[in-house]
Amino acid sequence: MTEHTKWERVSGNEEEAERIYRKSRSFLGDVWFRFRHKPTALCGFILVLILLVFCLAGPFFTPYTYSEQNNKMASIPPLLTVYPGPEEGSYLYITQGMKLIEVDNEGNLVRQLKKKKDDNAQKRTSFVWDDDTLVYLDYSRLPNTVLDKEGNRIEVSQKKWNHTYLLGTDQLGRDILTRLMYGTRISLMVAFIAALVNMVIGIAYGGISGYLGGRTDTIMMRIVDIISTIPLTLYVILIKMCLDDGLLSIIIALSSVYWVDMARVVRGEMLSLKNQEFVLAARTIGSSTKTILLNHLIPNAMGPILVTVTMLIPSAIFMEAFMSFIGIGIAPPMASLGTMCNDATETLRTNPYQLFLPALVICVIMFAFNFVGDGLRDALDPKLKK
Amino acid sequence: MNRQPPVLQVEGLTKHFPVSGHKVVHAVDDVSFSVSRGKTLGLVGESGCGKSSCARTIIRIYEPTAGRILLDGEEISTLNQKQLLPYRKKMQMIFQDPYASLNARMTVHDIIAEPLRAHRVCSSRQEENEMVSDMLARVGLNKEHANRYAHEFSGGQRQRVGIARALILKPELVICDEPISALDVSIQAQVVNMLRHFQEELALTYLFIAHDLSMVRYVSDDVGVMYLGQLVEKCEADEIYRHPLHPYTVGLLSSIPVPNPRMAKAREKSGLEGDLPSPIDPPAGCRFHTRCPYATEQCRQEMPQLKEASSGHFVACHRIFNR
Ligand SMILES: Nc1ncnc2c1ncn2[C@@H]1O[C@H](COP(=O)(O)OP(=O)(O)OP(=O)(O)O)[C@@H](O)[C@H]1O
Ligand code: SF4
Ligand SMILES: [Mg+2]
Repeated sequence: MTEHTKWERVSGNEEEAERIYRKSRSFLGDVWFRFRHKPTALCGFILVLILLVFCLAGPFFTPYTYSEQNNKMASIPPLLTVYPGPEEGSYLYITQGMKLIEVDNEGNLVRQLKKKKDDNAQKRTSFVWDDDTLVYLDYSRLPNTVLDKEGNRIEVSQKKWNHTYLLGTDQLGRDILTRLMYGTRISLMVAFIAALVNMVIGIAYGGISGYLGGRTDTIMMRIVDIISTIPLTLYVILIKMCLDDGLLSIIIALSSVYWVDMARVVRGEMLSLKNQEFVLAARTIGSSTKTILLNHLIPNAMGPILVTVTMLIPSAIFMEAFMSFIGIGIAPPMASLGTMCNDATETLRTNPYQLFLPALVICVIMFAFNFVGDGLRDALDPKLKK
Repeated sequence: MNRQPPVLQVEGLTKHFPVSGHKVVHAVDDVSFSVSRGKTLGLVGESGCGKSSCARTIIRIYEPTAGRILLDGEEISTLNQKQLLPYRKKMQMIFQDPYASLNARMTVHDIIAEPLRAHRVCSSRQEENEMVSDMLARVGLNKEHANRYAHEFSGGQRQRVGIARALILKPELVICDEPISALDVSIQAQVVNMLRHFQEELALTYLFIAHDLSMVRYVSDDVGVMYLGQLVEKCEADEIYRHPLHPYTVGLLSSIPVPNPRMAKAREKSGLEGDLPSPIDPPAGCRFHTRCPYATEQCRQEMPQLKEASSGHFVACHRIFNR
């Protein structure tokens, strides 16, 4: 006991020597700091924001609705090939249905001309411009063109950007830009809801399985194995078949499938976390299982969970698009990126832009979320702390 | 004077971990000891000899394979986790790794308040705040530290948070699992002082675990030496330094760095050689015989029992009793 006097109480000064040396930064601040300094992640994040503005605010700025059809204006591309019209500053556009549309100097589609007579012998069709002027569409040889006042073919065409339908129309005459906005909105909504539901199911299932461990874990994971051996696509199609068409059923179908991955991720995290000393400490304290799961395990597993969710969003979007594409997704006239692609395949040769545009948006969404997910993974990895 | 039961009494405690291939790790084998109120039992042994397993079994994070654990004379080894809850208030643990033992996603306040919340000690937020800041002050941290995250602190400060968490419920028994091994030497002294200070103030009973004997000497009243899951020697702290009996204890003592080179030379001979054998297949007979310079045929065959060699000095070695 006398030995104890060898230890004397340290003075305050020495204690000050071990003061906090790192700048105080909360966990989230830390993550944001690292996320911000990764160009691809930031780029993806900005893209996601742009997409959100596009699909949420966009529809307020277009005069069209996603379902409004205009047969006269069907399949008009964004870039018009126009010929000079009878008046100064007026142009004529030949539709795929061999009709004439008057286009003004800015590229606005003014009106569709009324057809007067089809002259089969001369292979030309006459259209009424006004009361005493006719214009002729010549289809004697390709490319089809308009005749000038002397009756000669006008061989020189001009290109004009479509100002009325910025991204053109589909084969039913619906504005593609507007449909893209609604399509993105639906795709993102389906993906977000599916991701959220998957997250909840996956965390609950994986959390319980991993935390309880032992035989419960084995049984629960075998069930997951069985579910995941059925090809995902087939499974979604089956669920979809049993339910009605529509948004809800597609969300249910997607939500009930992807949680398998999430459950695996969460379980793995639980297994490695539950033997860490802070969890043991919580158990020696006597904290309830609920507290241990909610306050200790899940917050510490949040990194991989978030990454899995952001990676899950693009695959849910793709799956939704794919289902809509093969015709078991969103029911018309509702637009989704997949149904738009599907509609476009019929006229792929003549109107490739109708497929290209929604496909491009799908690509952008997938890229954006993958970049964000990638950035999050790096940012959440505490080993990279700078 | 000592009519009341010891705060902690462990009888024949055994913990086996099943591992793949139907084998078992003999982490703790038939360990018995007791610690009376206000005293400190130091438990020493090499890394991997089962000290942490022993501690965690006593505090019932691990299910004991066999044996009895009595807290204040009440058997707690057969209770389930729910029945155990009131007893958890009486025993707390300080962990080895100040980094892993604090949840990085919680503020210091939440960490220290967790025991209060688990046992619904405070009726109001106000009361909780007061208790936490009071505890913070006692372990030498500021009130402002409460809203910081643990990763903003140095190892020594983190360990103080761990101590605050363990002591806020005013437990009777505190199991310190190598509380200072992960700390800087300069900070070790502060933490040990603090622990001693709290022991006097709150009449705490410590089970103090360390992997070498140097620090244990200053904090312990009694010392137990563990080897490969078994207790091989047990006596008063000073006695073990003056008259170590078990060859393993002698080896452990010689591995403490000595300032005097002449003494160091004398000790060199008795130093420990070889590695700890696997606890999956512990050697038959005396578990230390693979490394013991005095091993005989009897040692290889027969397991020595922990017996009293002199008053209060227990040792498990054939050599001592055959002399
Ligand atoms: N959960 C477990 N499952 C299986 N084996 C375990 C488990 N925990 C510990 N062991 C084994 O039990 C033995 C004793 O480990 P323990 O952690 O108790 O040693 P220790 O004396 O505390 O060592 P250290 O000084 O390194 O902390 C080791 O061989 C270890 O591998
Ligand atoms: S019993 Fe034999 S082998 Fe074991 S410590 Fe004693 S002398 Fe060494
Ligand atoms: Mg240990």
